[in-house]
Amino acid sequence: MPSPAAEHAQEKAPTDGVAARARGLTKAYGQGETTVLALDAVDVDIARGRFTAVMGPSGSGKSTLMHCLAGLDTVSAGQVWLGDTEITGLRDRELTRLRRDRIGFMFQSFNLIPTLTALENITLPMDIAGRKPDPAWLDQVVDTLGLRDRLGHRPAQLSGGQQQRVACARALLSRPELVFADEPTGNLDSRAGLEVLGFLREAVDDLGQTVVMVTHDPGAAAHSDLVLFLADGRIVDEMEQPTAAAVLERMRLFTGRAPRTAETDADVRRVAETAGED
Amino acid sequence: MLKATLRSFLAHKGRLALSALAVVLSVAFVAGSLIFSDTVSRTFDRLFASTAADVTVAPEDDLRSQLPSGAVATVPASLAAQVARVDGVASAHADVSVENVTVVDSRRRSVGPTTGPPTIARDWEVTGRSPVELTSGHAPHGPDQALVDADTADRKHVRIGDTLTVLAQPGSFRVQVVGIATFTTTNPGAALVYLDSAVAGEKLLGSAERATSISADAAPGVSDTELKRRIGAAIGTGDYALKTADERAASATEQLGTFLDVIKYVMLGFAGIAVLVGVFLIVNTFSMLIAQRTRELGLLRALGADRRQVRRSVLTEATLLGVAGSTLGLAVGIALAVGLIRLMGVFGMNLRATELVVRWPTPVTAYVVGIGVTFVAAYLPARRAAAVSPMAALQDAETSGAGRPLRTRAVAGGIVGAAGAAALAGCVASSRTASAASLLGLGVFLTLIATVIAGPLLVRPVIRVLGAAFPALFGSVGRMSQRNALRNPRRTGATAAALMVGLALVGGMSVASASMSKSFDRQIDRTLGADFVVQNANFMPFPQEITDKVRATDGVGLVVRQRFAPVAVRLPDGTRVKTSAAGYDPQIDEVAHITYTAGDSAAALAAGGMGMDAGFARDHGVRAGSVVPVEFPGGRTARLRVGALTDQEQAEGFGPQGGLFLGLATVEKYIPGGQDSALYVNAAAGTGADALRAGLERTLAPYPQVQARDQADYKKLVHDQIAVLLYLVYALLGLAIVIAVLGVVNTLALSVVERTREIGLLRAIGLARRQLRRMIRLESVVIAVFGAVLGLTLGLVWGVCTQQVLALQGMTALAIPWGTIVAVVIGSAVVGVAAALLPALRASRMNVLAAIAHE
Repeated sequence: MPSPAAEHAQEKAPTDGVAARARGLTKAYGQGETTVLALDAVDVDIARGRFTAVMGPSGSGKSTLMHCLAGLDTVSAGQVWLGDTEITGLRDRELTRLRRDRIGFMFQSFNLIPTLTALENITLPMDIAGRKPDPAWLDQVVDTLGLRDRLGHRPAQLSGGQQQRVACARALLSRPELVFADEPTGNLDSRAGLEVLGFLREAVDDLGQTVVMVTHDPGAAAHSDLVLFLADGRIVDEMEQPTAAAVLERMRLFTGRAPRTAETDADVRRVAETAGED
Repeated sequence: MLKATLRSFLAHKGRLALSALAVVLSVAFVAGSLIFSDTVSRTFDRLFASTAADVTVAPEDDLRSQLPSGAVATVPASLAAQVARVDGVASAHADVSVENVTVVDSRRRSVGPTTGPPTIARDWEVTGRSPVELTSGHAPHGPDQALVDADTADRKHVRIGDTLTVLAQPGSFRVQVVGIATFTTTNPGAALVYLDSAVAGEKLLGSAERATSISADAAPGVSDTELKRRIGAAIGTGDYALKTADERAASATEQLGTFLDVIKYVMLGFAGIAVLVGVFLIVNTFSMLIAQRTRELGLLRALGADRRQVRRSVLTEATLLGVAGSTLGLAVGIALAVGLIRLMGVFGMNLRATELVVRWPTPVTAYVVGIGVTFVAAYLPARRAAAVSPMAALQDAETSGAGRPLRTRAVAGGIVGAAGAAALAGCVASSRTASAASLLGLGVFLTLIATVIAGPLLVRPVIRVLGAAFPALFGSVGRMSQRNALRNPRRTGATAAALMVGLALVGGMSVASASMSKSFDRQIDRTLGADFVVQNANFMPFPQEITDKVRATDGVGLVVRQRFAPVAVRLPDGTRVKTSAAGYDPQIDEVAHITYTAGDSAAALAAGGMGMDAGFARDHGVRAGSVVPVEFPGGRTARLRVGALTDQEQAEGFGPQGGLFLGLATVEKYIPGGQDSALYVNAAAGTGADALRAGLERTLAPYPQVQARDQADYKKLVHDQIAVLLYLVYALLGLAIVIAVLGVVNTLALSVVERTREIGLLRAIGLARRQLRRMIRLESVVIAVFGAVLGLTLGLVWGVCTQQVLALQGMTALAIPWGTIVAVVIGSAVVGVAAALLPALRASRMNVLAAIAHE
């Protein structure tokens, strides 16, 4: 019963260098006694050309970590680099340009601009930048994601899975240094979810992209090369070549003290299903 | 449920603020106009009631006219003695009061008001009723002393000891100011000059034996009505009009009323625009709030609230908005009324703002308008809210209403639009002014309604075209802004409608006024043959000495006088038409080009002859050669032979009804002592126009009220007068734009809130703040320009139809002010940019993460 990641373990891309790096990354909300530390002096390296999953229970700071790495959020202390660029301390205009040109995004839901067609959504960041997409690359991305006959459709005319594939295409089109995916399968049924995870996997393996995915779904995390476990704002563990069962097991350790939640119950069920399919 | 409603109202108060502003504006204009006219009426009622004598005997004035002859109707001064002898009369006095004077100071500047109220010269008679009292100096004695009123003295810097020249009908004379009289009541704005009673008749009327009226006071115990009856019995009522104090006040108020009515209707016009435009704003706001709260409403329904409760909840919110808006509006209305009263002070009418009259109908009307408008505007959105299903609470409901078919609108708009178009076509085809005008009104109304209904249907095609260049020009930012504007056609339509209404009015009026200007220009070119026309600034007749001096001016060749006579003609078809006839000197052909269909100038101006408009003659069964009885003031009747018929189709709109004209000698015969209204002057042989102008200006220098104008001056004068109409239009436009801007701001602000997540996403994937602002700005511009294009198109159609109606009045030229139209379109784009400022700023300040996470 090999996990998806295990299948890919042999053809893993060489990790030449670091796509993003954080040192002493701290994010605090509130002031004085009510201060809540979402991230507590996190040091992390995101390896180039790999598929990294960030896992953790609700409130562990996994989304905050992604937002800070992606230049969407400001940090309270510490430093963040994207490639060689230190992004902590950049002003809004520079951050915006950085996100536009060097980072790709996928969100859990509401990924697309409803008034634009699929194609227009895909090319949107490049259009905003005033650049023309490389037609051959565009074709490749579109074909890889199977969107050829959906390009003229508006988001409302697409299924949830198709919408996420369009978002994926958009994230890949400018060949960003880093693709951030925030719970990209959270709103999808398991089949569509698997499809999207497959594409992210392909993006790393075949297109040489770097992907960071935030998820609380062990089944999804199992598609990655490396899982970082977050709890209470710290990276508490990591796992190479994860499998769903191992990830779920590890998660239980961190949430063991906390009462079981509906979320973890759902995880268990989903892992069971995933395992059954595999 | 009420608690939930209140909570919701308070929670959304920011979003309701702009709607409230629209309510405030409409209520303020309604309340302001009511308070203003009530205040003015009350003030003048008091003035007239307190100053009128118990019974006044005046000449019978059946033939009052817009174009006075300059002759003052009088009664014999001796009538006072006759009245005094009537049993029950305590005292009687022969009054002399004329308005056909100009008073100039030693620097030849007029001391009279320049804005409409008259200059009045009268005898100084101190009674308990006098509206003025002597506050400095002494009463006038003898022929060369006078008093002036304090307001005039103040405004024109006249001091005791100054010398004034009074240009009166019998001749001008100089007086020294010996005292200042101050109004004890409201000064209606006139300039007053008081002369000694002993000399007033001679100086002002040319005869000490004449008076303009007799005032009689009753002895104790005799009622005014009884006194009037007795005096009437004693002197006969045939030649005299007798009025009690009450009747006099009533008729004075009535005359003032027409002026006040104009202000009132203008204000109500503003209120109407504000209400109309406000309705769109309120409908839009509530629609959007409900769309945003779909899930909340669904939850309420799921928890057991029935449709009626949901609807009532929304309507309660609307009512609260209406109450708040009306209350504020009432307050603003009072301020507006105070402002107007101050403004009237600038124009010389010294009303006291402290005597502000707020009668009970004012607040009642204010609240009825404010609450009614809000309630009606919120009714449809409320019904839509009630239609939200409980399932909506569970679904991720996108903005409702966007995708619903517009079929009903298409049908309704089509039917109303077709009816409107038919009415307009009918008005163009119609050949009678009255029916054409009413068809025009109907057509304008129906097409406006149709455009408002069908507006959302036009959003797609029109904005596709308007925004077609956006993607090319602004890339995906342009594309998104164009599509955002197309997103919810109802909303875009309703938002643009506010601007559309105002601009349609402006478009129509500016076409009409440009056409009028052009027609007048043509008319002046065609008919005015004189080198110069000498005329009073306010077109009133001027003293005889001006005519004499113009005649004596070097370089003046021919002078043709024009003098008006108020007349009534009895026509063969049995009607009696009261109008004015113009009298001319026989050489009229030298100074004017008249087209005759029968007869000629000589026949029309001959003794016992007259000229008439051919169309008027045809309508009333008059033929060339018919003899028509003509009544002149004072009961004299002449039988005049219609010697000539003129083709005045081009000119009908310019002069009094019927286009009657006759020899000046005939006018002089029946109304002796009249004054000339205009002099048509040609240069003598060998004198150039410039030399003649210089000569005339020298001659007219002592008479600041009279000017010599050539064709170009004349055109400018006409244009200036039409411009006054345009200023009103522009003021309306201004108001419509202010509210329309509020509407666009409102829509954009709510849209920005609605699209929070989308904006967050755009920012996340790299849309710069600047680009985001541009996106919202472009959306705003395209909505505003859409409104402008729709409005101006409608306005052009109205304008062309209006011109067709005016053509029946002789204004055959059609002019379309393309410059204005282009300026309005550009202006509306600027309006769009301005409206987008705040919403764009707000959107660009949004926190990216909070926006993405926004529910």
